Amino acid sequence: MSTKLSYTLVITGAPWASQAPQTALAFARAAVSAGHRLDRVFLYGEGVHLASSLCAPPSDEPHWPQQWSDFLSDNQIPGVACVASALRRGLVDEREQNRYQLPAHNLRSPFEIAGLGEWVDGTLKSDRVLYFHGSA
Amino acid sequence: MTTLIVIDQAPYGSWAGREALDMVFSLAAFDQPAALLFMGNGVNWLRTAQNAKGIGQKTVEKNLSAAPLFGVEKIFAEHEACKRFMPDTNSRLADIELVASVKDLITRYDHVVFAG
Amino acid sequence: MNQSLGTGTLHILNKAPGHPRFIACLSALSGQDSLVLIEDAVLALPDTDTALPEHTVALELDLDARGLSGAAKTDQKISHQQLVQLTEQHPRIISW
Repeated sequence: MSTKLSYTLVITGAPWASQAPQTALAFARAAVSAGHRLDRVFLYGEGVHLASSLCAPPSDEPHWPQQWSDFLSDNQIPGVACVASALRRGLVDEREQNRYQLPAHNLRSPFEIAGLGEWVDGTLKSDRVLYFHGSA
Repeated sequence: MTTLIVIDQAPYGSWAGREALDMVFSLAAFDQPAALLFMGNGVNWLRTAQNAKGIGQKTVEKNLSAAPLFGVEKIFAEHEACKRFMPDTNSRLADIELVASVKDLITRYDHVVFAG
Repeated sequence: MNQSLGTGTLHILNKAPGHPRFIACLSALSGQDSLVLIEDAVLALPDTDTALPEHTVALELDLDARGLSGAAKTDQKISHQQLVQLTEQHPRIISW
Protein backbone atom coordinates (compact mmCIF):
# COMPACT_ATOMS: atom_id res chain seq x y z
CA MET A 1 0.00 0.00 0.00
CA SER A 2 2.81 2.43 0.76
CA THR A 3 5.05 3.73 -2.02
CA LYS A 4 8.14 1.69 -2.74
CA LEU A 5 11.36 3.63 -2.42
CA SER A 6 14.99 3.18 -3.43
CA TYR A 7 17.79 3.35 -0.86
CA THR A 8 21.55 3.71 -0.77
CA LEU A 9 23.05 2.53 2.52
CA VAL A 10 26.46 3.87 3.51
CA ILE A 11 28.37 1.97 6.20
CA THR A 12 31.31 3.79 7.80
CA GLY A 13 31.63 1.71 10.98
CA ALA A 14 33.76 -1.45 10.92
CA PRO A 15 32.67 -4.88 12.14
CA TRP A 16 34.00 -5.66 15.63
CA ALA A 17 34.77 -1.98 16.16
CA SER A 18 31.14 -0.90 15.95
CA GLN A 19 27.56 -2.11 15.68
CA ALA A 20 27.12 -0.37 12.33
CA PRO A 21 27.25 -3.45 10.04
CA GLN A 22 24.70 -5.30 12.21
CA THR A 23 22.28 -2.38 12.41
CA ALA A 24 22.62 -1.77 8.68
CA LEU A 25 21.95 -5.44 7.92
CA ALA A 26 18.84 -5.54 10.09
CA PHE A 27 17.64 -2.36 8.38
CA ALA A 28 18.45 -3.72 4.91
CA ARG A 29 16.55 -6.95 5.57
CA ALA A 30 13.53 -5.01 6.82
CA ALA A 31 13.65 -2.64 3.84
CA VAL A 32 13.80 -5.49 1.32
CA SER A 33 10.97 -7.37 3.01
CA ALA A 34 8.89 -4.17 2.91
CA GLY A 35 9.34 -4.19 -0.88
CA HIS A 36 11.87 -1.37 -1.17
CA ARG A 37 14.83 -1.45 -3.53
CA LEU A 38 18.40 -1.15 -2.30
CA ASP A 39 20.37 0.53 -5.08
CA ARG A 40 23.65 -0.28 -3.38
CA VAL A 41 25.48 -0.65 -0.12
CA PHE A 42 28.51 1.62 -0.06
CA LEU A 43 31.36 0.95 2.36
CA TYR A 44 33.39 3.99 3.30
CA GLY A 45 36.24 4.69 5.73
CA GLU A 46 36.48 2.01 8.40
CA GLY A 47 33.38 0.39 6.90
CA VAL A 48 35.48 -1.25 4.16
CA HIS A 49 36.68 -3.90 6.61
CA LEU A 50 33.27 -5.51 6.16
CA ALA A 51 34.33 -6.60 2.67
CA SER A 52 37.39 -8.56 3.78
CA SER A 53 37.46 -12.24 2.86
CA LEU A 54 40.04 -12.88 5.57
CA CYS A 55 37.92 -12.31 8.68
CA ALA A 56 37.72 -15.56 10.63
CA PRO A 57 35.76 -15.05 13.86
CA PRO A 58 35.36 -18.00 16.27
CA SER A 59 32.81 -20.49 14.92
CA ASP A 60 30.30 -19.81 17.71
CA GLU A 61 30.23 -16.07 16.91
CA PRO A 62 28.32 -14.33 14.12
CA HIS A 63 30.29 -13.70 10.94
CA TRP A 64 29.17 -10.26 9.78
CA PRO A 65 31.11 -10.14 6.49
CA GLN A 66 29.73 -13.57 5.56
CA GLN A 67 26.17 -12.56 6.50
CA TRP A 68 26.44 -9.41 4.42
CA SER A 69 27.84 -11.31 1.42
CA ASP A 70 25.01 -13.81 1.59
CA PHE A 71 22.39 -11.08 1.88
CA LEU A 72 23.81 -9.10 -1.06
CA SER A 73 24.09 -12.20 -3.27
CA ASP A 74 20.64 -13.52 -2.38
CA ASN A 75 19.02 -10.18 -3.19
CA GLN A 76 21.32 -9.16 -6.05
CA ILE A 77 22.24 -5.89 -4.38
CA PRO A 78 25.54 -4.25 -5.39
CA GLY A 79 28.06 -3.93 -2.57
CA VAL A 80 30.74 -1.32 -3.21
CA ALA A 81 33.86 -0.54 -1.17
CA CYS A 82 35.39 2.90 -1.75
CA VAL A 83 38.72 2.42 -3.50
CA ALA A 84 40.66 5.08 -1.55
CA SER A 85 39.39 3.82 1.82
CA ALA A 86 40.01 0.22 0.81
CA LEU A 87 43.56 0.58 -0.50
CA ARG A 88 44.71 2.42 2.61
CA ARG A 89 43.32 -0.32 4.82
CA GLY A 90 44.68 -3.29 2.92
CA LEU A 91 41.51 -4.33 1.14
CA VAL A 92 42.20 -5.11 -2.53
CA ASP A 93 40.68 -6.99 -5.44
CA GLU A 94 42.71 -8.78 -8.09
CA ARG A 95 42.97 -5.71 -10.30
CA GLU A 96 44.37 -3.52 -7.52
CA GLN A 97 46.67 -6.35 -6.46
CA ASN A 98 48.18 -6.38 -9.94
CA ARG A 99 48.30 -2.61 -10.23
CA TYR A 100 50.19 -2.17 -6.96
CA GLN A 101 52.03 -5.51 -7.17
CA LEU A 102 50.68 -6.69 -3.82
CA PRO A 103 51.16 -10.26 -2.56
CA ALA A 104 47.44 -11.10 -2.30
CA HIS A 105 43.88 -9.93 -2.84
CA ASN A 106 41.18 -10.24 -0.23
CA LEU A 107 37.95 -8.67 -1.47
CA ARG A 108 34.98 -10.81 -0.51
CA SER A 109 32.48 -11.65 -3.24
CA PRO A 110 30.11 -10.04 -4.27
CA PHE A 111 31.69 -6.77 -3.14
CA GLU A 112 33.34 -4.57 -5.73
CA ILE A 113 35.82 -1.73 -5.46
CA ALA A 114 34.85 1.63 -6.97
CA GLY A 115 35.19 5.35 -6.42
CA LEU A 116 33.18 7.89 -4.46
CA GLY A 117 31.24 8.55 -7.66
CA GLU A 118 29.09 5.55 -6.66
CA TRP A 119 28.13 7.40 -3.49
CA VAL A 120 27.48 10.65 -5.38
CA ASP A 121 25.24 8.68 -7.74
CA GLY A 122 23.32 7.39 -4.73
CA THR A 123 22.76 10.89 -3.38
CA LEU A 124 21.38 11.89 -6.80
CA LYS A 125 19.26 8.88 -7.69
CA SER A 126 18.20 7.05 -4.55
CA ASP A 127 15.10 8.27 -2.72
CA ARG A 128 16.90 7.87 0.59
CA VAL A 129 20.57 7.72 1.64
CA LEU A 130 21.18 6.36 5.14
CA TYR A 131 24.49 6.36 7.01
CA PHE A 132 25.56 3.77 9.55
CA HIS A 133 28.47 5.19 11.53
CA GLY A 134 30.55 3.80 14.34
CA SER A 135 29.54 5.05 17.78
CA ALA A 136 32.97 5.69 19.33
CA MET B 1 20.18 19.13 -4.19
CA THR B 2 22.63 20.72 -1.81
CA THR B 3 24.82 18.77 0.60
CA LEU B 4 26.44 19.89 3.82
CA ILE B 5 29.35 17.76 5.00
CA VAL B 6 29.95 18.11 8.73
CA ILE B 7 33.32 17.53 10.38
CA ASP B 8 33.15 17.44 14.17
CA GLN B 9 36.31 15.47 14.90
CA ALA B 10 39.70 17.01 15.57
CA PRO B 11 42.34 16.63 12.84
CA TYR B 12 45.29 14.18 12.97
CA GLY B 13 43.88 11.88 15.68
CA SER B 14 41.65 10.11 13.17
CA TRP B 15 41.19 9.84 9.41
CA ALA B 16 37.44 10.48 9.51
CA GLY B 17 37.71 14.20 8.78
CA ARG B 18 40.06 13.70 5.83
CA GLU B 19 37.70 11.12 4.37
CA ALA B 20 34.78 13.49 4.86
CA LEU B 21 36.78 16.12 3.00
CA ASP B 22 37.19 13.63 0.12
CA MET B 23 33.40 13.35 0.04
CA VAL B 24 32.93 17.08 -0.37
CA PHE B 25 35.61 17.20 -3.09
CA SER B 26 33.91 14.33 -4.85
CA LEU B 27 30.54 16.09 -4.86
CA ALA B 28 32.18 19.21 -6.23
CA ALA B 29 33.98 17.16 -8.91
CA PHE B 30 30.57 15.92 -10.09
CA ASP B 31 29.28 19.53 -10.13
CA GLN B 32 27.04 18.99 -7.12
CA PRO B 33 26.65 21.94 -4.77
CA ALA B 34 28.43 21.17 -1.51
CA ALA B 35 29.54 23.00 1.59
CA LEU B 36 31.54 22.17 4.70
CA LEU B 37 30.72 22.78 8.33
CA PHE B 38 33.30 22.48 11.10
CA MET B 39 31.80 22.19 14.55
CA GLY B 40 32.85 21.10 18.04
CA ASN B 41 36.39 19.68 18.08
CA GLY B 42 36.35 19.87 14.29
CA VAL B 43 37.05 23.62 14.33
CA ASN B 44 40.67 22.76 15.16
CA TRP B 45 41.05 22.05 11.45
CA LEU B 46 40.87 25.80 10.92
CA ARG B 47 43.88 26.95 12.90
CA THR B 48 46.73 28.67 11.07
CA ALA B 49 50.39 27.63 11.32
CA GLN B 50 49.78 23.88 11.50
CA ASN B 51 52.87 21.77 10.86
CA ALA B 52 52.24 18.03 10.95
CA LYS B 53 55.54 16.98 9.37
CA GLY B 54 56.90 15.84 12.72
CA ILE B 55 54.05 13.37 13.25
CA GLY B 56 54.36 12.07 9.71
CA GLN B 57 51.16 13.51 8.32
CA LYS B 58 50.20 16.04 5.71
CA THR B 59 48.93 19.29 7.16
CA VAL B 60 45.13 19.39 6.84
CA GLU B 61 45.26 23.14 6.31
CA LYS B 62 46.75 22.42 2.86
CA ASN B 63 44.02 19.93 1.95
CA LEU B 64 41.43 22.43 3.05
CA SER B 65 42.92 25.32 1.11
CA ALA B 66 42.09 23.38 -2.08
CA ALA B 67 38.37 23.44 -1.26
CA PRO B 68 37.45 26.67 -3.09
CA LEU B 69 39.49 25.58 -6.14
CA PHE B 70 37.58 22.31 -6.27
CA GLY B 71 34.31 24.22 -6.23
CA VAL B 72 33.27 23.74 -2.62
CA GLU B 73 30.81 26.59 -2.21
CA LYS B 74 31.29 27.56 1.39
CA ILE B 75 33.16 26.70 4.56
CA PHE B 76 31.25 27.30 7.75
CA ALA B 77 32.44 27.07 11.35
CA GLU B 78 30.51 26.96 14.58
CA HIS B 79 31.14 30.29 16.28
CA GLU B 80 30.96 28.98 19.85
CA ALA B 81 33.54 26.27 19.19
CA CYS B 82 35.85 28.78 17.48
CA LYS B 83 35.64 31.08 20.47
CA ARG B 84 36.49 28.16 22.72
CA PHE B 85 39.47 26.76 20.81
CA MET B 86 40.69 29.86 18.95
CA PRO B 87 39.79 32.97 20.91
CA ASP B 88 42.46 34.85 18.95
CA THR B 89 40.79 35.52 15.61
CA ASN B 90 44.22 35.90 13.95
CA SER B 91 44.88 32.20 14.50
CA ARG B 92 41.90 31.23 12.31
CA LEU B 93 42.04 30.60 8.58
CA ALA B 94 40.49 33.29 6.43
CA ASP B 95 37.31 32.98 4.37
CA ILE B 96 35.41 30.98 6.95
CA GLU B 97 31.82 31.96 7.63
CA LEU B 98 31.00 31.73 11.31
CA VAL B 99 27.56 30.41 12.21
CA ALA B 100 25.80 31.15 15.47
CA SER B 101 23.32 28.29 15.11
CA VAL B 102 24.18 24.87 13.73
CA LYS B 103 20.49 24.04 14.04
CA ASP B 104 19.51 26.81 11.61
CA LEU B 105 22.31 26.02 9.17
CA ILE B 106 21.50 22.33 8.79
CA THR B 107 17.88 23.05 7.95
CA ARG B 108 19.09 24.93 4.85
CA TYR B 109 20.60 21.81 3.24
CA ASP B 110 18.82 18.89 1.56
CA HIS B 111 21.45 16.42 2.71
CA VAL B 112 23.47 16.67 5.88
CA VAL B 113 26.27 14.11 6.10
CA PHE B 114 28.49 13.64 9.13
CA ALA B 115 32.08 12.42 9.00
CA GLY B 116 32.10 8.71 9.84
CA MET C 1 4.61 3.05 17.59
CA ASN C 2 3.68 6.58 18.48
CA GLN C 3 1.35 7.86 15.77
CA SER C 4 1.97 11.49 16.67
CA LEU C 5 5.56 11.40 15.37
CA GLY C 6 6.73 14.69 13.95
CA THR C 7 6.62 15.77 10.31
CA GLY C 8 10.05 17.41 10.19
CA THR C 9 13.47 15.79 9.89
CA LEU C 10 14.13 12.26 11.09
CA HIS C 11 17.26 12.19 13.24
CA ILE C 12 18.90 8.80 13.77
CA LEU C 13 21.31 8.89 16.69
CA ASN C 14 23.68 6.07 17.72
CA LYS C 15 26.06 7.81 20.15
CA ALA C 16 25.93 7.36 23.93
CA PRO C 17 24.86 10.27 26.14
CA GLY C 18 27.86 12.52 26.78
CA HIS C 19 29.35 11.95 23.31
CA PRO C 20 29.84 15.34 21.62
CA ARG C 21 27.64 14.30 18.72
CA PHE C 22 24.87 13.14 21.08
CA ILE C 23 24.84 16.58 22.67
CA ALA C 24 25.00 18.32 19.27
CA CYS C 25 22.12 16.23 17.96
CA LEU C 26 19.78 17.06 20.85
CA SER C 27 20.49 20.76 20.51
CA ALA C 28 19.85 20.69 16.74
CA LEU C 29 16.33 19.27 16.94
CA SER C 30 13.42 21.44 15.84
CA GLY C 31 9.88 21.19 17.10
CA GLN C 32 8.52 19.04 14.28
CA ASP C 33 11.53 16.69 14.15
CA SER C 34 11.58 13.06 15.23
CA LEU C 35 14.40 11.31 17.05
CA VAL C 36 15.27 7.63 16.79
CA LEU C 37 17.72 6.25 19.33
CA ILE C 38 19.71 3.25 18.14
CA GLU C 39 22.72 1.30 19.44
CA ASP C 40 24.45 3.11 22.35
CA ALA C 41 22.08 6.08 22.16
CA VAL C 42 19.28 4.03 23.77
CA LEU C 43 21.18 4.58 27.04
CA ALA C 44 19.61 8.05 27.01
CA LEU C 45 16.28 6.57 28.12
CA PRO C 46 17.31 5.67 31.68
CA ASP C 47 19.78 8.58 31.86
CA THR C 48 18.49 11.05 34.42
CA ASP C 49 20.77 13.76 32.97
CA THR C 50 19.22 13.63 29.50
CA ALA C 51 16.02 15.46 28.56
CA LEU C 52 14.62 13.84 25.43
CA PRO C 53 12.19 15.54 23.05
CA GLU C 54 8.56 14.50 22.77
CA HIS C 55 8.91 12.62 19.49
CA THR C 56 11.50 10.07 20.59
CA VAL C 57 11.52 6.36 19.84
CA ALA C 58 14.17 3.69 20.34
CA LEU C 59 15.06 0.42 18.63
CA GLU C 60 13.58 -2.32 20.81
CA LEU C 61 16.35 -4.87 20.16
CA ASP C 62 19.00 -2.35 21.23
CA LEU C 63 17.03 -1.67 24.42
CA ASP C 64 16.63 -5.39 25.11
CA ALA C 65 20.33 -6.02 24.55
CA ARG C 66 21.21 -3.46 27.21
CA GLY C 67 18.66 -4.64 29.77
CA LEU C 68 16.45 -1.62 29.12
CA SER C 69 13.20 -3.19 27.93
CA GLY C 70 11.52 -1.68 31.00
CA ALA C 71 13.03 1.77 30.49
CA ALA C 72 10.82 2.70 27.52
CA LYS C 73 7.06 2.98 27.17
CA THR C 74 5.50 0.51 24.74
CA ASP C 75 4.81 3.21 22.17
CA GLN C 76 8.44 4.38 22.34
CA LYS C 77 9.82 1.04 21.17
CA ILE C 78 10.18 0.33 17.49
CA SER C 79 11.28 -2.63 15.40
CA HIS C 80 13.60 -2.39 12.40
CA GLN C 81 10.47 -2.70 10.23
CA GLN C 82 9.07 0.37 11.93
CA LEU C 83 12.37 2.19 11.45
CA VAL C 84 12.03 1.48 7.72
CA GLN C 85 8.51 2.95 7.85
CA LEU C 86 9.85 6.09 9.52
CA THR C 87 12.38 6.49 6.72
CA GLU C 88 9.51 6.15 4.22
CA GLN C 89 7.62 8.94 5.95
CA HIS C 90 10.55 11.34 6.26
CA PRO C 91 12.27 12.50 3.05
CA ARG C 92 14.86 14.32 5.14
CA ILE C 93 17.00 12.11 7.38
CA ILE C 94 20.17 12.89 9.32
CA SER C 95 22.36 10.09 10.72
CA TRP C 96 24.35 11.41 13.67
